[in-house]
Amino acid sequence: MLWVLLVGTVTLASPLILAAMGGYVSERGGIVNIALEGKMLAACAATSLVGFATGSVLWSLAAGIASATALAWSHWLLTQKFRVDAVVSGMALNALAFGATNFFDKRFTDPTHIGEMPRLPLGAYQALAFALPLLLAYGVRRTRAGVRLMASGSDPDKARQMGVEPVAVRFWAQTVTGLLCGLAGAMIVTNAGRFVDNMTAGRGFIALAALILGGWRPVQVGLACLFFGFAEALQLVLQGTDLMGAKIPSEAWSSLPYLATIVALAGFAGKSRAPAGLGKV
Amino acid sequence: MRLRVALVSVAALLLVVGALVLSGVPPTEALAELARGAFGSKSAWAGTLRETTPLLLAGLAVFLALRAGLFNIGVEGQLVVGAMASVAVCLAVPGAAGVVLGTLAGVAAGALWALPAGLIKAYRNGHEVITTIMLNGVANFLSTALVAGPLKDPSQQSPTTRLLDASTRIPDLYSAPPFRVNLGLVAGLVLIAATAWWLRRTVAGFELRATGANLRAAEFAGVPVRRVMLWSMVASGAIGGLAGALQALAYEGRFYAGFSPGYGFDSLGVAILAGASPFGLLPSALAFGALAKGSTSIQILGVPKGLSYVILGLLIVVFAVVRYRREGARD
Repeated sequence: MLWVLLVGTVTLASPLILAAMGGYVSERGGIVNIALEGKMLAACAATSLVGFATGSVLWSLAAGIASATALAWSHWLLTQKFRVDAVVSGMALNALAFGATNFFDKRFTDPTHIGEMPRLPLGAYQALAFALPLLLAYGVRRTRAGVRLMASGSDPDKARQMGVEPVAVRFWAQTVTGLLCGLAGAMIVTNAGRFVDNMTAGRGFIALAALILGGWRPVQVGLACLFFGFAEALQLVLQGTDLMGAKIPSEAWSSLPYLATIVALAGFAGKSRAPAGLGKV
Repeated sequence: MRLRVALVSVAALLLVVGALVLSGVPPTEALAELARGAFGSKSAWAGTLRETTPLLLAGLAVFLALRAGLFNIGVEGQLVVGAMASVAVCLAVPGAAGVVLGTLAGVAAGALWALPAGLIKAYRNGHEVITTIMLNGVANFLSTALVAGPLKDPSQQSPTTRLLDASTRIPDLYSAPPFRVNLGLVAGLVLIAATAWWLRRTVAGFELRATGANLRAAEFAGVPVRRVMLWSMVASGAIGGLAGALQALAYEGRFYAGFSPGYGFDSLGVAILAGASPFGLLPSALAFGALAKGSTSIQILGVPKGLSYVILGLLIVVFAVVRYRREGARD
């Protein structure tokens, strides 16, 4: 059972880490991103549909990443060029992704579900997910691109004085966010086998919770994701069993990430650890 | 600027037309069917008004918070706990007393559900969008657990409460089947008029608008901005809870898992579309209500229901680009 718990934790935490790192790059660049959910969902649908249609791993993964990146670029266009509030833009993109995935799934999925989706091994995603926080922690301090990213999100005006154009930096940041959310979605659908309506089921928001709980620091955010993945795995393992004579409903476990985030925001100032220039032009 | 608006509008329209062509339905026919489904007959009108009621109230909840400069994404959760609380009370207390107590319970539950978000925003500076998203998640899981456990009707397979007694239902104001108008809709209209008056004519209303318009300036002028933010969030939650209570007592007559098909999220669109005046909520809620009602009839033509969410998203984008623009750096 311990082994099942461990494997479950790693498998369930990996897409959370990928998406949370996507959110990290977006918010460190200065753009609030509540549309991680929508991007993951779009990637789930695109990966599944193209996978069934072409039978090629490469094409299906490319479609998943492309769909998430298209949404990320829309977010950039709306917030940076059209000056739409990032929260409004994120809500709209979530609704758009929810509707469009339902539309394409109903329209193009073979209802008999013959055949199988080509998949990469889960291990590939897991390895990437566990390496990524370390890579980012190093990258944002030690590479040119990373420092420019931090500058754009911390003080865009000073960055501009130093010759860094935050709006351009953010374009590439959103591209990375799209790529990572695309991979997160592809992993979820790889694990499940095929697309189901609203299959991300709030994981994008849990990734967002991890980002806040980890204080916008990559390694801590990764640990928060592991903790949430562990809670989810524990819930699956303990389902229906008695714990100290009382039956804990599975919903109690499921709401753990949300409750933890609320308590964290109430306990210490969430804002003081956020990127200083979050939401600034 | 004009060019951008035109560009976004045309792109949105092309997306919808493209989607319709993809589903094999001629766009004009789909549009005609949508209009027929929403306004084509007396029963269609009744259905549209029924769909409009929760959107009107939930839209008002979002609108009020938005006037104070707050994004209450938590209306979804506030509506759900409001509906659940009102049904729980009405199952225990029959008659007119049940209706009154049930409605009050819904209002209180919604307000209570918004309280953490208001407190954290006002005194901890934590973003209300994050806290309300999290509270939505908790509301969803809490209501699912309760309706599958203590509140469940034992004679039913699916997680749902017992059907409410007819004496605890909010009656129709006018009923000539197939057309009917429920009192709940009237309550929504009255509340909107009252809010419009309150925002315009009272000191508290002015302080709320000042806080939303420019936080720093309002603070310098002596407005207790923290208290204003806290109470506008709680008031917004109370209205969200009322929306749930009325939906349960007027139309559904019970509470069940998946009670809200996303009223809270639709109401964000309603509020953004409404613009600066509460009376703008009337046409925008009606538009969303018609879209919800009409989309069921184009589903019969073979257009997946997801299309209505695509339209919702695109509408928000277009109107956000037109009028809801961020002004410089937001503090």
